[in-house]
Amino acid sequence: MQAIEVNHISKSYGRVQALQDVSFSVGKGEVFGLIGPDGAGKSTLFRMLCTLLLPDEGTLSVDGFDTVRQMKEIRQRIGYMPGRFSLYEDLTVEENLIFFATLYGTTVEAGYDSVRTIYSQIERFKDRKAGALSGGMKQKLALCCALIHSPSILFLDEPTTGVDPVSRMELWETLLSLKERNITIVASTPYLDEVRRCERVAFLDYGKIRGIGTSEVILEKFKDVFNPPGIDKETSDSSRQAEQNVIEVEHLVKAFGTFRAVDDISFSVKRGEIFGFLGANGAGKTTAMHMLTGLNQPTSGTGRVAGYDIRTEYEQIKRHIGYMSQRFSLYEDLTVSENIELFAGIYGMDDRKIRTKREELLRRLKFEEHKDDLVSSLPLGWKQKLAFSVSIFHEPDVVFLDEPTGGVDPSTRRQFWELIYDAAARGITIFVTTHYMDEAEYCDRVSIMVDGKIAAIGTPNELKQRFQLPDMNHVFTYLARQAKRSEQ
Amino acid sequence: MKQFYSFVIKETRHILRDKRTMLILFGMPVVLMLLFGFAITNDVKNVRTIIVAPYLSPQAQLAVERLSASEYFTITATVPATRDAEQLIRRQQADIAIVFTHQHQNIQIVTDGTDPNMAQQWTNYAQQVIMNPSTTLINTKMLYNPQMKSAYNFVPAIMGMLLMLICAMMTSISVVREKEKGTMEVLLASPVRPLTVILAKAVPYLVMAICILVTILLMARHVLGVPLAGSLFWIIIVSIIYITLALSLGLLISNIAQTQMTALLLSAMVLIMPVVMLSGMLFPLESMPQVLQCVATIIPPRYYIEAMRKLMIMGVGIHEVSREVSVLTIMTALLLTVALAKFKKRLE
Repeated sequence: MQAIEVNHISKSYGRVQALQDVSFSVGKGEVFGLIGPDGAGKSTLFRMLCTLLLPDEGTLSVDGFDTVRQMKEIRQRIGYMPGRFSLYEDLTVEENLIFFATLYGTTVEAGYDSVRTIYSQIERFKDRKAGALSGGMKQKLALCCALIHSPSILFLDEPTTGVDPVSRMELWETLLSLKERNITIVASTPYLDEVRRCERVAFLDYGKIRGIGTSEVILEKFKDVFNPPGIDKETSDSSRQAEQNVIEVEHLVKAFGTFRAVDDISFSVKRGEIFGFLGANGAGKTTAMHMLTGLNQPTSGTGRVAGYDIRTEYEQIKRHIGYMSQRFSLYEDLTVSENIELFAGIYGMDDRKIRTKREELLRRLKFEEHKDDLVSSLPLGWKQKLAFSVSIFHEPDVVFLDEPTGGVDPSTRRQFWELIYDAAARGITIFVTTHYMDEAEYCDRVSIMVDGKIAAIGTPNELKQRFQLPDMNHVFTYLARQAKRSEQ
Repeated sequence: MKQFYSFVIKETRHILRDKRTMLILFGMPVVLMLLFGFAITNDVKNVRTIIVAPYLSPQAQLAVERLSASEYFTITATVPATRDAEQLIRRQQADIAIVFTHQHQNIQIVTDGTDPNMAQQWTNYAQQVIMNPSTTLINTKMLYNPQMKSAYNFVPAIMGMLLMLICAMMTSISVVREKEKGTMEVLLASPVRPLTVILAKAVPYLVMAICILVTILLMARHVLGVPLAGSLFWIIIVSIIYITLALSLGLLISNIAQTQMTALLLSAMVLIMPVVMLSGMLFPLESMPQVLQCVATIIPPRYYIEAMRKLMIMGVGIHEVSREVSVLTIMTALLLTVALAKFKKRLE
């Protein structure tokens, strides 16, 4: 008997066809990957398998039970981790675990063996509120909560979005260890290294299955999607007009009480450079970025951004920078052109200029037909492109991008990076944080933060040579593993 | 049972850890009671009065004495002409002017009509005081509330409004918050029965509502001096029926609302506004147009407030409020059934 059998299912929301004639099966104890761009129908499929949604057509069986008629039996046997952290942030780590244990009619003691390997990593923090944990720790706790009742099938919907590479690796090592206990795992992920860890993967696109097979076969067959050719870097160092520093930071420190979130960092970024600011969750990236953008005052040290002092002239800085974060970027209930007008207006651009630039931008992004669409109706990849274009609409000296491409497939990310290169060529300095190490390779220079300090800085090639490692993923993992403070 | 118990603990923790909300929930009844009890009052007291009398006849003299002797009026000035009195009222230095003409045949009363209800009351009081020589023509007696204290009227109304607000709004928000955070998805995908989820959500709020009820009753009795004339037992039983009704409404709202914002607006606009306007709390139902009176028949707090007025202030037995109580019970049963039946076991 197969663990999961999906036969010809279709599902539509109103006029949107989410899934169309999807069929596949997963064997017992298999690690099965669901991959595909945002909006391909992965989450819908997960929800159907968890009996949360009913298919319009076709049948699904999980562990031999029908999802429509035998909902109760299935709900006893599955563990489910939806995309967002499914924890109660105001409860402590231990309280969360106890609650989920009783939810499945078991106790922490009875289920302890099944989560021991993972829970031992976070047990030190058992009295801390779940909301105060870092992304990686939250994921481990969520996984514990989904495993406490020893389910026979585990469903993970993008479990590692927003989690740093080291934590992701640890999470997958634990997942693969579950295989010994014959637990079937179905997971979706936008990361290629995680896709390679799956035994078989299904590539879902526009609600249809394009291919099923081992990860090598699928990644090879659809390599234009998953492994887009690198981007030619035209910006050689000699072509940079003036060797002018746009960001200069010296001995910057930010302390919260006795805790030094940012501990004496110094670096500079030149005009038109693409600077990758890397670090594990909790290494101090966000705090450093807040100081550079004038949102937070440094405890000590000096810094200049676009020629202005970060201590005293932060109002000026805000005028001369652009900012795009993963969480907030655009107003979902405004249309594309309304968003552009709004942000341009905030920066005090005059109407005529806004109008001409808006038309030009829409043409460049090929968004002309969608200019009156609500942002909420656009796919995630489009939103990100638009958010980036809006953040540089007022032609700032520097633009700060905080994990701009979270949760998007490789080909969309590549298109995003083309926009970044375009902006850099026009002389806008790019300061970007990311958890994707292939994106780190796209940067002119990168710095890697560990425990509030800059552990390494240089071009990607320099770093790879210095540490004698093949790619940035290895360099990052090597450095981040040396971190002593695991949690703030 | 274990599941249910651990759910209740979890909900209680959510409530207790949100300190600010707790403070508002327990602070609001206290503040409202004090406000309505002392500051906002319809009682006529110390009305600033001007006497306009170019020439005071002995009869007028008597009337003025009676006015100044009563605790309702304080005579602030005596002016010769009506125009001066009007000026004073316009400058907000007086509320009412009593004009005695030469012959003392007719007396004119000039009042500040910005608040028509109060103006009407002042006029009535003034007329009674002036007209009423020692020989009384009409003797009115106020049953149950001889001093005409407005607290007697407001306390049941505040109970009706607050219990509805807290129960309906807070339960709906707490269910919808789980939808927003994505935890509801995990709860639904687990073997726990939806009924357990719902009931466990309601229990802590039920307990909290009873605490608030007790606070209000204690304050009413000891701070505002409102008598609890009827049986305390029945007051609490009827209140619990009403609280259950409010909780069911909250659950019903949480079925419709997808975000906490919607839940908040729905409970505030759809529930609270009609409750305040159409429950007879502020405006008497009898003087409303027929259409509104019809609408008011389906407003649950109306029956609760009515029942509480009878039980608390009039001190009648439970038989006298059987109509209100049975309407409330039927409404509760109906709403609870719909809320439970509508609760979704799957997503949409």
